[in-house]
Parts: sequence; structure tokens; C-alpha cells
Amino acid sequence: MEVEAAKLIGAGLAMIGAIGAGAGVGIVVGGAVQAMGRNPDATGTIQTNMILGIAFAEAIAIYCLVVALLILFVF
Amino acid sequence: MSEKPKKRVWARWVVLAAIILGLFLFTGFFGIGLGIAPIMPHVYLPGEKLSETPILGIEGFYPTNTLVGLGLANLIVILLAVGVSSGVKSGKMVLTGISGAVEALLEMLYGITEGTAGKWTKQIFPWFATITLLVLAANWSGLVPGNETIGLIHEYKNGHPLIQAGPLTTIWEGGAGVDVESYDGKKYAVVPFLRPVSTDLNFTFALAVVAVVMIQVFGFRSQGMAYMTKFWNTKTLFSKPIFGVIDFGVGILELISEFSKILSFAFRLFGNMFAGAVLLFVIGSLVPVFAQAMFYLLEFFVGLIQAIVFGMLTMVFMAQATQGHGEHHEEEAHA
Repeated sequence: MEVEAAKLIGAGLAMIGAIGAGAGVGIVVGGAVQAMGRNPDATGTIQTNMILGIAFAEAIAIYCLVVALLILFVF
Repeated sequence: MSEKPKKRVWARWVVLAAIILGLFLFTGFFGIGLGIAPIMPHVYLPGEKLSETPILGIEGFYPTNTLVGLGLANLIVILLAVGVSSGVKSGKMVLTGISGAVEALLEMLYGITEGTAGKWTKQIFPWFATITLLVLAANWSGLVPGNETIGLIHEYKNGHPLIQAGPLTTIWEGGAGVDVESYDGKKYAVVPFLRPVSTDLNFTFALAVVAVVMIQVFGFRSQGMAYMTKFWNTKTLFSKPIFGVIDFGVGILELISEFSKILSFAFRLFGNMFAGAVLLFVIGSLVPVFAQAMFYLLEFFVGLIQAIVFGMLTMVFMAQATQGHGEHHEEEAHA
């Protein structure tokens, strides 16, 4: 049973990494919205790059999630 | 447009009936209702084997439920292609229905490609569109009811008891109407017939390998052997004493980053879609009736965004590979 407890704690600890991704996505979208407000004509280009940036930032959180899922359901 | 709401009036009664049925099944207030407690299904990371005999006798090549999901996704894409081609052949100036929706999607994707890839648009766009359509079909096929819930029951040590509820055999944690006598003490779990293929790491990894290999192919097609200097940069090694060594190290790092692209592609799609499936199960087991609808909507958007992100990253990396090393440096100098 102790191993089970350690697994649950470990999965929780692995998800701490989502903090950085959350802050990163917030910064990306904040910057993009400011840019769109200043230059509405460039919205299309900014949106494309924004989605790319979000995808890169979010990938870090997804790695944490995959590690947590592996700890919970595989090992 | 003005006639459509009249035709769909019956739909609201169907929704109302579904809500009342759900409340009757899953809640047990005041003695009415069955009070079934929805269970948390067992979560299994790799695709489950549907049969223990490998396909064609090849070792380790089992028919899994994600393989069935891949077949479904491919079938959707093929039916889409047939539908669109018949829509185009009908000779209408403005495409309507499903072919119109596909036209709008492809037009958007083509616009993005044109803005990034320039003169390589015609070569790169098919890869972008193919990956996006296949991943989109795979992601959205997971939202079809019956997916991941209907399947074969087998014994499983962390499962739930098997209950005979009228004519239906189901796995049931317990509730108001449980017949305790029929409980034989064994525990069971369901192996679904169908699971969306993007929740299988094998599929996302294979797609990522295809994407990254094709990125290198585009690099070689546009620059020839000069593309190798991106990874093995000995041009400035002797002319500039210190910075040459740094440039050489950067080339090695570029080589490593190509391999990390594969991992990044594979885990991004797999993590998003698998976590989405688990999220739907968890919410369904916590709040049986209303809450899952909101998360269905969320999963709808996540499926679309992840499909576009996978395709768009492939497209952007391909466009970068077609641009030469020298141009890249100039861009950095300007920035």
C-alpha cells in the first residue's frame, strides 16, 4: 500500500511543472492580444504565431501529464 | 436558414427526454430513479488487445482496439473525399454542406501555408492538409457515443462486480437496485471495441517520425547537400577561432533538436487526447448527468486545435528547412 501512496504523491508532484506552462501561455496570449489591439490588421499573422507559441508552451505541461499518467497507470 | 428551426423542433423534446432518462437512471432521490452509480472505468495506457492471436502470425502484432479506431478514422477521411468529389462534380458554383465545410477548412489551411512557405506552398500543403484531416478525424471519432464504452467483458483484478440488471449485463459498482445474490465475488472490466487512435502512442509516434523525416527530405530537396551544413558546420571552424567551434556545437545541437522534435510531436498529441479521454471518464463518474456535456465541448475544441497544431508545426518546420542557412542568420541579425 505504501507504493500506491508514493505513486499518487509522485503523480501529483510531476504535475507541478504545469505552473510554468500556465504562466507561459498567459504571457503569450497577453502579448498577442496587446499586439492585436495595437495593429488589428495583423490579427491573422499574430494568431498563427500565437497558436504556435501556445503549442510549444503547452507541450511542457503535456510532458508533465504524460509522466504523471505513466506513474499512475504503467509502473 | 429561416426554415431550419421549424424542422428541428422535435430535437428539443429528444434532449429533454434524454435528460429525464439520465436523471431517472443515475439519481435516487425520494425513492424514484434507479440510483446507478457510474463507475470509473479502468484506465489502460496502451491499446487493449482484442484477441490473443497475432495478425498473420507476426510476433507482437496484435489486433488492438486502437487499430479498429485507425480504420474508422481512415474510413471517415475516405468518405469525406468521396463526398467532396461528388460535391465538386455536381457543378455548383458555391459548395454546400459537408464539401463546403471541407472547402472552408482547406482554404484556411492553404492561406496559412502560403503566408509561411512562399514558393514551396504547393509541395508542403498536401502534407499539412493530410496530417490535419487524419488527426482531426481520429480525434473527433473519440467523441462518438459508444466509443470506449461498448466492448467485451473480461476478468480484471482492479475491476468492478458484474451485475445482471434486467436484460442487460453491466459492470456496476453498486446502488439502490443491486441484486447482491447474483454477485459471484469476481471483478471485471470492459475492453472496448473502439478507441480513438490518437490515444495510442504508436500512432502519434509513427506520424511524428513521418513528419520529421519529410522535413529532412524537404531540406535536401531545396538545398541539396548544403542542407547537411546545418548539422555538420565546418565552414567557419578554422577561419574564426572561437566562434567557429561554437557554430560547430550549434550544428550538433540542431541534430539533437531534430530527434527531440519527434518526441515533442508524439507526446503532445498523445498526452492531449489521452488526458481528454480520461477527463471525460472522471467527470462522468463524478457528476453523471450534466457536467460531461461541457467537457465534451472542451474536447471538441482540443481535438480541432491539436489537429491544426500538429499539421501547422510540420508545415512551419518544413518551410524553415527549405529556407537556407544563410537567410536564417540574416533574419536573426535583423531581430
